[in-house]
Parts: sequence; structure tokens; C-alpha cells
Amino acid sequence: MSDVDRSIAEAPLPTAGTLRRRKNLFYQVTRFVAFNFRMMKMVTRAHH
Amino acid sequence: MARVVILGAGISGHTAALHLQRQLKNKAEIIVVTPNSNWNWIPSNIWVGVGKMTKDQVTFPLAPIYKRKHIGFRQAKAVAIHPEGSPDNPQGFVDIVYTDPTRSGQEEQLTYDYLIVATGPKLNFAATPGLGPDGNSWSVCTAGHAEQSAAALETIIEALKAGERKTLVIGVGHGTCTCEGAAFEYTFNVEHELRERGVRELADVVYLSNEYDLGDLGVGGMTFAQNGFETSSKMWTESLFRERGVRAILRAHVEKVDPGVIHYEELDGSKHTLDFDFAMLLPPFRGVDMKAYANNGDDITDDLFAPNGFLRVDADYAAKPFEEWTPEDWPKTYQCPRYANVFGVGIAFAPPHAISEPRKSPNGTVISPAPPRTGMPSGVMGRTVALSIAERIRRGDQAPLRTASMAAMGAACIASAGTGLRKGSAAAITMYPIIPDRKRFPGSGRDLTQTSGEIGLSGHWTKLLLHYLFIYKAKARFGWFMIPE
Ligand SMILES: Cc1cc2nc3c(=O)[nH]c(=O)nc-3n(C[C@H](O)[C@H](O)[C@H](O)COP(=O)(O)OP(=O)(O)OC[C@H]3O[C@@H](n4cnc5c(N)ncnc54)[C@H](O)[C@@H]3O)c2cc1C
Repeated sequence: MSDVDRSIAEAPLPTAGTLRRRKNLFYQVTRFVAFNFRMMKMVTRAHH
Repeated sequence: MARVVILGAGISGHTAALHLQRQLKNKAEIIVVTPNSNWNWIPSNIWVGVGKMTKDQVTFPLAPIYKRKHIGFRQAKAVAIHPEGSPDNPQGFVDIVYTDPTRSGQEEQLTYDYLIVATGPKLNFAATPGLGPDGNSWSVCTAGHAEQSAAALETIIEALKAGERKTLVIGVGHGTCTCEGAAFEYTFNVEHELRERGVRELADVVYLSNEYDLGDLGVGGMTFAQNGFETSSKMWTESLFRERGVRAILRAHVEKVDPGVIHYEELDGSKHTLDFDFAMLLPPFRGVDMKAYANNGDDITDDLFAPNGFLRVDADYAAKPFEEWTPEDWPKTYQCPRYANVFGVGIAFAPPHAISEPRKSPNGTVISPAPPRTGMPSGVMGRTVALSIAERIRRGDQAPLRTASMAAMGAACIASAGTGLRKGSAAAITMYPIIPDRKRFPGSGRDLTQTSGEIGLSGHWTKLLLHYLFIYKAKARFGWFMIPE
């Protein structure tokens, strides 16, 4: 096993809860809004 | 009437053309020169490459848009710039050669008052023997390439379905490549597709890159604040690789691609081979092949362009060690230092240096990513230069230029990791600033409150939303200018 693959093998695995949240429609809608808000803030900063 | 010539109708050039037209209406003549008849939303080529979108969904013809907007259009490629004009006329001009099938090969000289070079990259497959669709690997850099990749992938999936084992290698095909983000996206879209089709077990998916660590992405990696900890993009990315069972080969320079075999050198100087059944390896980029001449006919290509073929602008190109790189090295106005009416935007401008730490193998091979210039900053540069030029045309040559340094700009990057409105996912990343500033932000060089990464279905929705929004905007439909770059 290479050093890189060893490092990957030691990386934290998402828990079942995290995996569920990543697919949960209700939770993801809130993440969608939050991320797009953050992105818009960044974009408006770039347009001065 | 002043004439603005824009070379290239990609993200930066097309954005500049639309903004110039909107700003100046009939006060200036705007002409776009570009060899392709179609505009391409390149980020969605990833989905064409896995057969989830067609070429027609990611491209559209430019001519009707330019006709509607009264923008001149030459389907041609620029081959030379004469910034000083000719001995009897000091007005600058460009030599163009038509690619338009109705007048293919015809030449024209196009004079300009202002010139925007937005020619993007030359896909330099030739740097690595055997690399690319004309050789032994595939690409997703153009919609056409992506279609070929999708067809090749389909053949592999059929073989997997028949019970054969296959190795799929996805990554970058040279030690100096950029665009690792696109390779990352394609890796996980292919992996997702293999799972969807029920053949993942028999496939070995390998990511091959010139990055020192996973998550470097050509921006030197990032640090995110998550759950009360500072998390590196390295660990974050490794976690995704572990979860999805993707192997990685890093710090690699691909030397050549033979049929079914990749030859590569690692940063420690060791040489290896990797057998494959399917390989999508992005090419390194360089500037497109353009010459420049003084009014006496002297070749001034090396004055105008850096050795990598990109246009020199207002950056600090003095060679200096990594420790001495500063945000101030990066250009602000994108104006050519020698010719005030020439600007370079998007991938076409020569960056002062990389963002990731430069590294060489003991054999002297450079194995570190070149700096990415993604869609968002490319669009912002196009718009900024358009506004600067519009201002100068309205108020005269002394009107101050607008600025848009990548050291004062953030970027959002949504790396798709699989499609599907319910099953898709993407790694959604924001970073500020793009160029790390270790004085302002000790440690990682970036603002922890504005640098973030998260994986989930909503990232896929955002990527899809951007696909439709940016195609709408590029078609200059009602209110297009309200959609920020
Ligand atoms: C597969 C892939 C996926 C990507 N995904 C993302 C992503 O998800 N998000 C993101 O932000 N960025 C992404 N990028 C990067 C993004 O596509 C680029 O940042 C962007 O296209 C750069 O814009 P540009 O205008 O500089 O160049 P381009 O968009 O490449 O445009 C260059 C234009 O110049 C024209 N041209 C070439 N030669 C000449 C010549 N001699 N004369 C005149 N015109 C010429 C070309 O035909 C083209 O129209 C991706 C890139 C790739 C390859």
C-alpha cells in the first residue's frame, strides 16, 4: 500500500448520521439556502 | 466610433462582450473573434462525459445572440497582434484567419482601439506523448471530447457488466497541469455512475494527479472551520476517497501514455507504470499560439507573451522563491504593461507564479499544479475590464481602471460527485481570498469564516442551478446582467 493510500485508509469515515443528512431533503434544502447565501455574499464582494 | 475587439468567446470574453455592449450601446463597435460557432458551459462537460447530458445541452450557437445584441462576430482565430499598427498607420490590429466553414482559411486584418485577449488555454496534449483523444486517453475539456469519453465509458461499463475487471484512471496528464478540480469531479461522477449501474465491485477507480496532497486543487489546499476544529482540505478529501473506495496516486508527472499503459514519474524521482482500460487525463494548458509584431515587423512575441504563451499583464513577474510570494504579485487591472489599450483576462493572462508550493523531482521534473483560473474569477475579470474600457471610451484615456485582483476575490467551486435530483452530491467549496494572504490571515492565508467545504445533495442542486443560470445569462436573455458572474 502506498503512503497516499495509507493516508486515505486512515481518514475519518462519515457516520451513518452524516451520510443520511447529506441526502435528507429537508436538511439539504436548508444547506442549499445557506450555501447560496454565502456564495452571493462572496460574489457581491467581488463586484465592487 | 471606437472599436473594441475581443479575442475569444469563452466565459471571460463573452462576459466582456455583453457588458461592453450594455455599457456602450451604439457608442462603440464591439467585435468578437472566436474559432468556435458555439458557446460552451464547460463545467457541465463533466456530465456530458458520463452520458448524463448531451453536447446540445451544454452548448448553443453564438451568432444569433451577437446578431440580436448588435455585436460583430467573426468565426475566426487570431494569429497575430500588431499593437503598434503598421509603418503608415499607428492603430493596432490583429491578423485573423477564418474558421467559418463558408470562408475557411480567408485572412483579415482587424483594427482596434481596445483589445481584450480572452483566448483561454491551448489544450497542450502534445506535451505528453500519447495523451489525449488523438492518442491513448480521453478528455472532457470540450463538449466533443466529453462525448467521446462518455462513449468509451459506456464500452467499459458493458465489459464490467459481462463480468470483466477494469481499471479506470482519471486525473491529469502532466506534472504542470492545472484544473485538478475538474479531474476530481469526473472521478467521482464516473464512480457514481459505476455504482448506479451496479458494476462498481469489478472496477478499480484510480485518481492520478500532480498535487502534493489530496485537496490541494492547485490552490495550495484550504483550511475549513468545522465542528469547532480547523480541518484541512487534505483530510476532508481523503475522507471522500475512503468513503467511495477510490485509490489515489499523487505527486505524479505522466511521461507518456501508451495504449493501456501510463508511464509516470513521482516526486521522489522513481518511475512507474500503471495499466488501464479507461483513462481520462486532462492536458496541461499553455497560451494559444499567437505572435506579436512591432510596426517595423520585428517579432515582439516574447515581450507581449510569457514563455508559457499567456499574455503579460500588470502582475509582478520577477522570479522569487515561494516564501517571498505576496498577494501584490497578482494583477489588478489586467492591462498589458507596454500597450495601454490591450488587456488579458481569464486563463489567457500570465499568472506571476503558481499558488501551490512549486516542487521538482531529483531529475528536475516540475511536479506541482499550475494556478487555476476558474469560471467565477474569469467572468469577474471579463466584466471588470469591460467596465474599464467603457469608462475610457466615455471619459477619455485618463479614466481610472477598475480592479479585480484574485488576491481580493473569493471563489465558489462546486465539484460534482454524482448526478441525480435525489441521489446526486457535490462538494461545495467557498474560499476567500483565492490567493492566500498570510499577513492578513496568519496560518492558512485565507479567511476561515469565508472558506468552507461541505458535501451533500444540495451541492448538486447548486451546480445544476448554476448550469441553467449561466446558460441563461450567456444567451443574454431578459435581465441577464442581474446574474452576477
Ligand atoms: C472539464 C472542465 C470543468 C470545469 N469546471 C469548472 C467548474 O465547475 N467551475 C469553474 O468555475 N470552472 C470550471 N472550469 C474552468 C473554466 O471552464 C474556466 O475557468 C473558464 O472556461 C475560463 O474562461 P476563459 O474565458 O478564460 O477561457 P475559455 O472559456 O476556454 O474560452 C476561451 C475562448 O477563446 C477562444 N479561442 C481560442 N483560441 C483563439 C484564437 N486564436 N483567437 C480567438 N479566440 C480563440 C476559444 O475558442 C474560446 O471560445 C472547468 C474547466 C474544465 C476544462
